[in-house]
Parts: sequence; C-alpha cells; structure tokens
Amino acid sequence: MRSATRVAVAPEGGGLPGAVAAEWTKLWTVRAAYLCLVAGVALMGVFTFYYGSIARINGHPVQPVGNAPVAAAVLVQFAVGVLAMTSVTAEYATTSVRATLLWVPVRHRVQLAKALVTGAVAFLAGVLLGVLGTVVAWVSFEGRATFDGATVGGQVLLLGVYLGLVAVLTVGMSFALRAPAGVLTVLFLLLYGVPTLLEGLGGEVLLTVNDHLPLAAGTHSMLGDEAPYPRPVGLLIVTGWAAVAHLAGREVLRRRDA
Amino acid sequence: MITLRGLTKRYGDTLAVDGLTLDIEAGRVTGFLGPNGAGKSTTMRMILGLDHPTGGTALIDGRPYAALRHPVREVGALLDAKALHPARSARGHLTAQARSNGIAVSRVDEVLELVGLMSVARKRAGEFSLGMYQRLGVAGALLGDPGVLVFDEPVNGLDPDGVRWVRELVRSLAAEGRTLFLSSHLMSEMQLTADQLVVVGRGKLLADTAMPEFLAGSSPTAVRVGVPNAEDRRALAGQLVRNGAEVEPGGGTELVVRGRTAGEVGDAAHALGVRLHELRTVSASLEQAYMELTAESVEYGAGAAA
Repeated sequence: MRSATRVAVAPEGGGLPGAVAAEWTKLWTVRAAYLCLVAGVALMGVFTFYYGSIARINGHPVQPVGNAPVAAAVLVQFAVGVLAMTSVTAEYATTSVRATLLWVPVRHRVQLAKALVTGAVAFLAGVLLGVLGTVVAWVSFEGRATFDGATVGGQVLLLGVYLGLVAVLTVGMSFALRAPAGVLTVLFLLLYGVPTLLEGLGGEVLLTVNDHLPLAAGTHSMLGDEAPYPRPVGLLIVTGWAAVAHLAGREVLRRRDA
Repeated sequence: MITLRGLTKRYGDTLAVDGLTLDIEAGRVTGFLGPNGAGKSTTMRMILGLDHPTGGTALIDGRPYAALRHPVREVGALLDAKALHPARSARGHLTAQARSNGIAVSRVDEVLELVGLMSVARKRAGEFSLGMYQRLGVAGALLGDPGVLVFDEPVNGLDPDGVRWVRELVRSLAAEGRTLFLSSHLMSEMQLTADQLVVVGRGKLLADTAMPEFLAGSSPTAVRVGVPNAEDRRALAGQLVRNGAEVEPGGGTELVVRGRTAGEVGDAAHALGVRLHELRTVSASLEQAYMELTAESVEYGAGAAA
C-alpha cells in the first residue's frame, strides 16, 4: 500500500505551526499588508509632528514625549485593523478561504493562526511606529516634552500590545461578519465613532461607558493614568474585547459552511 | 478509499444530498455524474469538510477530513480552480499551501514544472486563463503526493491537449494505487477515463457500477443498416423480425437492428439479394446511457416548457 510508506516518511509539520507558517506566507505575498504598514508610518509621522507642534504653539504644559505616539493610536489602529481585516475578508471575497480550509481543516486553527500572525505583526509595527512617533514628536515639541527612557519604553511597548489586540479583535470580527463593509463599519464605530460621541456628549455615565471601550481603556493604560482604574485594568479591558470578538468569530466559523 | 454512509445535506426544504451510501475504492477512477443541481459539488464539499452534513458521514481512509493531521498529503482536492487570491503568484499560493502541511518548499517548483506553469510561476494568478487556473489547481492537488484525489470538473476550460493530459494523469495516478474521484459533464471524456461510475440525480444515488456494465445495462449495441430501396428495406426488416431481431426505422434509408450482429444482418441481406449502402455497429455511448438513466431527474430540463 502507498499510504503505509507515506505515513512512514512524513510524520511532521502541519498543525498550528503549519497554519501560522501558511498565514505568514500569505500575508507577505500580496500587497495589502505593505500598504497598511506604509499607511501606518504616514499616519504616525504626520500625527506626531502636528501633536508636538500644536503643544508647542499653544504652550501646553510639558509632557512625556511618548504621549504623542500614544495619541496617534486613534489613527494608527485603523492601519493594523485593515491589515488584519483583509487577511480574512479578502479570502471570503475571492473564495480562497476554501483553499485555506482544505489546507487547515480545523477551523479554529485557521482563525488562531491569523490572529497570531496579524497580532504579532501589529505588535511589532506598534513598537516600531512608537519609536518613530517619539523621534518625530521630540523634534516638533522643541523642548516642550520630557524624555525618560523607562516611561517612553513602557508607552511604546504598550502601544504595540494595544495594536496587537486590535488586530486580534478585528480578525474575530471579520470571521463573524465576513464582508469588509460590515467589518469596517463596526470597527470604525467601536474604535472611533462611539468614543467620540460619548466624549462629546460627556456626563459621568457616558464617560464611564467610554472608559470601558477599547480605545479609551487602551489609551488610559498607555498614558499611565491611575484613574479611573489602575494601568493593567485598561489592558485587561482591551483584552476582553479582543476575546469576545475572537469567540464570536470562532462560533460563526464553526457553524457555517465555507 | 472514500466511504460515504447515509450522507445527507438539507438546505431549508431542499434535500441537496439524500442519504448517499457508497465506497470509492483505491486503484481505480470513479466518475461522478449527475445533472446540474444533483448534489455533486455539495457531496464533494462534504467529503472535504467544507460543508457540514445534515446527516451521515463522509470518511477518508476511515477518518473525517478535518481529523487528518496533514490533509494536503492525504487528499488532493481540485474544487473551484479560481478559488485563490488573484494578486498572489502561483508560487506564493503553493508555497503557503506547502508550509501549511509541512511539505518541503522545493516540491512547489516540482509540481509547477509538472503542470507546465514554471514560466508563469511569478505571475499574479488573476492574470491566468481558465486553463492555467485548472493547471494550478492540479498542481495544488498533487503538491502533497496524496493517496486520494478529488477533482470537480478538472478538464473545464482546458484545450484538447490539456484534456488529454488530465486524462493520462488521472489514469496513471489510479494505476499507482491511488483513489480517484472526479466529476465531469463531458461524457465522452468520462467514458475514456473512468472505471467505475457513480450517478446521482436530485441528491439520490441512481447508479454505482463498473463502466462496462453501466453501458451494457442501459443501451444495447445496435446495427445500423442503410438500404436505398424502400421495398428491399421492408423485405429485410420482415426477414430479421421473423428471425427474432428487433428492428426500427433509423431515419432516411436506415434501419436500426438490435439482437443481431452486423455480420448476421449482412448475411440476411445477401440471402435476400438486398443492396446495402451502409452496415455498421453502433456501440452504446455513455452519453446515451446516462441520458436514459437521468431523464427522470433533470432539475432544469429544456423539454417541458411551452
């Protein structure tokens, strides 16, 4: 029998490491990921330049230089969000998700691999963009900022973690919704529209609600705020959102036909 | 070997696949036939774990597809050849596939060479012709050197050279002891390729038989004989019927005779002094046998309207 000899020679590979390797390869063999990262660089550069300039021109109090890249998260999060989203929605749009599921038939493993790959890329991108933003802001602040290695390091690292979690959240949401229009709408509302609305309306209740949305929770944590909750709690809230989206995506992926 | 037991798929009120039970054996080519909407693609998708059965099981060497640790090494599938990202190159696509199952990346160039796509390995797949898509699909199916191959319409869009190439490839893969399960609408092609035939209609199994029996069972071989003179035609027909043959008019000056060989018909004509213009044996064609079998179950037939 052929099968007997085949099993004997080829027992390794595959599984989750195989799925991760395949997702990694797929990510870098189309242009979307590069475009998203270029967009991230542009958004971070422009935003932090203006952040520093405005603080200087308006005579804001001196602040840690890392606040500039942290504030840029409101824009940069969409660069990694779109990157994570297209890794899922492009496969549904081109029906290549069927090929993916033939290669890796354990469905949750596909989602996990995509979350790990885009999460890791978003984390690394976040750290590097954080460094870039710090440098740009340092120049445009022209002395109206403080530089403390530990503070900046912590902020940059947390920016990476926040963006990584945004990617995981987006992957889950994309498996749940499948179509890019839907994902972009929900992502935009969750990470920008609703927070802006709640902050604009103000009031204790609405602001408390906002503090439990991913952007505000992540920002509190990155800025090192001790109120309304200690730093790690903000990160936990973002993790919770990512986990909920991940489980929602997992459930839809498990139930529906490809 | 692929084993289906009571495999059923229901979409709302429609039974797309209705309790299919059959074994698709190794070492031969099993052709999968049926009218559009008969449930062929749904059956294949369930075998490959893409669609969840409403009932029953589809097993590959005793296990469901999703339980295979290295599915690409065990099952080669060609479903929709265009189901890939148009911006990714053929090589990029196959490299991702190889890495997903721990297959050496050097195997990618081997299969690209095998299907004749080496020169366009770096080209975006979106610029491929349908025939090139099919070749890339075959490359993907062969990548893991699997023992089971499932092909849905593999010759769709291929030129005559490509059709012959797929036929010879499929025959040689079966000769190596692999399980080949393929669907096609091209009856003449299927007749040349398949050893065993599985026919479905409206989701139900209509036939699961070896090719020769399938052909013999539905449409017996006939002899067509051309007799230019009308009186001679009547005389010959009368003589043959008296001898127990089945005779019917074949249109124009022809008669269709069943139950006698061409030689026997020729002898009878000679004995009567009847002049012939044509005498030939018509073998049963798969197309005809298939049409007879599925006439009842065509979902979108052309006949009934108006």
